Amino acid sequence: MKIPSTSLSTRQLGGYVCSGCTRQLRRQRRSYATSTVNPDLYDVVCVGGGPAGLSLLAALRSQPATANLKIALVESQRLDATRNFQLPPTQFSNRCSSLTPSSVRFLEQVGAWQHVDQKRVQSYEEMQVWDGVTGARIEFDWPAEKRGQTIAYMNENLNLTSGLLKRIDELGGVEVLDGQKVEDIALGSETEDFDLSSWPVVSLSGGRKLAARLLVGADGANSPVRAFAGIGSRGWDYERHGVVATLQMEGPGWGGESKIAYQRFLPTGPVAMLPLPGDYSTLVWSTTPALAAHLKTLSPKDFIAMVNAAFRLSPVDLAYMHTQSDGQADELAWRSQHTNFDQHRIPQQVIGVQEGSIASFPLKLRHADTYIGERVALVGDAAHTIHPLAGQGLNQGQGDVESLANTIQYAVTHGQDIGVRMSLEPYNAERYAANNMLLGVVDKLHKLYAVESGPIVPLRSIGLRAVNALGPVKQFFMDQAAGTGVKIL
Amino acid sequence: MALFVRPSALRSSLPRDLIAACTISLNSRHFSVLNRPPPNYPGHVPLTFIERAGLAVGSAVISLANPYRGDLIAALGEATATPYFIYRLRDAMLASPTGRRILRDRPRITSQTLSMTYLRSLPPNTVGRVYADWLDREGVSPDTRESVKYIDDEECAYVMQRYRECHDFFHALTGLPVMVEGEVALKAFEFANTLLPMTGLSMFAVTRLKPAERKRFFTIYGPWAIRNGLGAQEVINVYWEEQLERDVEDLRAELGIEKPVDLRDIRKRERARKKAEKEAKERSGDSLGVN
Repeated sequence: MKIPSTSLSTRQLGGYVCSGCTRQLRRQRRSYATSTVNPDLYDVVCVGGGPAGLSLLAALRSQPATANLKIALVESQRLDATRNFQLPPTQFSNRCSSLTPSSVRFLEQVGAWQHVDQKRVQSYEEMQVWDGVTGARIEFDWPAEKRGQTIAYMNENLNLTSGLLKRIDELGGVEVLDGQKVEDIALGSETEDFDLSSWPVVSLSGGRKLAARLLVGADGANSPVRAFAGIGSRGWDYERHGVVATLQMEGPGWGGESKIAYQRFLPTGPVAMLPLPGDYSTLVWSTTPALAAHLKTLSPKDFIAMVNAAFRLSPVDLAYMHTQSDGQADELAWRSQHTNFDQHRIPQQVIGVQEGSIASFPLKLRHADTYIGERVALVGDAAHTIHPLAGQGLNQGQGDVESLANTIQYAVTHGQDIGVRMSLEPYNAERYAANNMLLGVVDKLHKLYAVESGPIVPLRSIGLRAVNALGPVKQFFMDQAAGTGVKIL
Repeated sequence: MALFVRPSALRSSLPRDLIAACTISLNSRHFSVLNRPPPNYPGHVPLTFIERAGLAVGSAVISLANPYRGDLIAALGEATATPYFIYRLRDAMLASPTGRRILRDRPRITSQTLSMTYLRSLPPNTVGRVYADWLDREGVSPDTRESVKYIDDEECAYVMQRYRECHDFFHALTGLPVMVEGEVALKAFEFANTLLPMTGLSMFAVTRLKPAERKRFFTIYGPWAIRNGLGAQEVINVYWEEQLERDVEDLRAELGIEKPVDLRDIRKRERARKKAEKEAKERSGDSLGVN
């Protein structure tokens, strides 16, 4: 869509001076002014080349109505490494995310899922979740008529972004400005050609200036776009870190072909073991920053023992083993003899940890006050950050993107300016409450299970067992987690 | 769609599962008296819930009538230690490095493992010597301890055994004698420290004390027991076998235990005072009679 300069110049001086005269005036004044770089005009400028930003661009380019928008992508990292992402089948990146069936359906629609290396994607059909203090357990497995249905897909974030980039390259038409930092975002100025005073202009480290009809912030939790738009973001830090690692298991899992995800709620935070293809699994262990730092100092042998212990031993044993500088393997061997656990309902033994894959990141809850501003929209982590215990972070971003892409498409097909607040309002209305509810539920779950003793502990165990026994209620939660259930908000 | 209720599935599986879910299981093993499962460790007697309750009530009543039935007090301790208390004590041991070492090594205190001649040869201020002196003074032996039978978890059974075998060391450390008054005071201390229900139930023995003894309990030993029991570290975590040559005052200071007034001394003085009063009375009576 080319920017019609006549309509712009008409707007800048209102109806007071005829457009021909204004243009004349501008042109005359220009000869005296020092020459400044005029910004390039774009319909959509997306800051941030993560999963959310890339899916938005792929979605816009793949819909006929929005395929002709002039689009630019700004990303501070070089994207070549991501585009050519390749690892041997025995190695996995430590940053993995779960994709719900509804996110995958969207990615298929966009045409990106076909470019994701399917040999590196692992679906799982069952989930075992239990309370580390009481052992109360909930088993998410589908009833007979739906057996074998996927709950979610585990995928490396790099595999997804690589697939999205390939899809964008295939579609073409997106100006990719990678390896360029955003130096400044400010409102444009009035020139004789057009009035950009309500348009955000992004200045890049390479010297380019991009004026955006719609500036999309997909630039992560510390979003410069959100800061530019003056949108506040509220929330709290959990005082927890998520420790991630790629693990090698003793076998492909108890379910054989059908894989199982495991999560155990410890008083320090949940620890999850999620299946990857073959004998591999990815770990997400949320724990206090001090314990996370300690885990990272352990030798591989003791780290493996700690991970095995996290799914087997009592919180008392774990607390003690966290104080040891080494010898966890020995401690685990002894305590395993005196601890009761059903080994077929917990993950198989970990036998190896991929070198260099142990890392950690701080966990927090953040929610922007709104997802939209005048000529600004926020998606993904720029809009919200969630505790990873339900594996919903990336999926919320995909939900945002789908909604925003539909909103833009509606605006384009109805002849609206895609950047104005009124056009963006449906996006905010559709996503804000739904995201807010999910953020709240996950936050309360974290807090509920952070309690170590007292009356809450037996009560939550009764609750969990009751949900486990009440088939329809459990089914409801599973459908919600898979993104295929009824829409509540 | 998600809230669609499948009536057939509901009818078949709901009641049983829901009842199972909502019952706080007191004993994970359910069996009938005729099909008693094999023991979890040598000497283990698996009990049903009803048997356990009967054992608790019976042993409590009879041991209150006859406080010298050590076997019944032991049975009461085992019958009331589950579901929660013995696990708490085990976890207290697991949380301490020394406690973990004890659980790993599983040392036993008998006259074979602790040589009395060695203990008597230690300097008088050491833990071992104080222990030996206390055994000699009270005329008891470490071999009089029952072995644990009614606790299902094999590790918790050891914890109970350890508590029982350490009991004499607690006596020695506090200097409290084995007579009912001394036992009640020590049990009060143990209750505040270990939370084992049997030690708390033993408080009913206060009703059997003489008025003067009861007054002493409520004014001297009871308050001492609560203050020290709550304030001290978990005494179950002391590796006594390694502390034998240590200065006893040093160990008391480390654990945060004050030695109470010597009960035998008080009783002796009280007796002497009573005797003196009686004599004085008799003398005054005599003198009155003369006048």
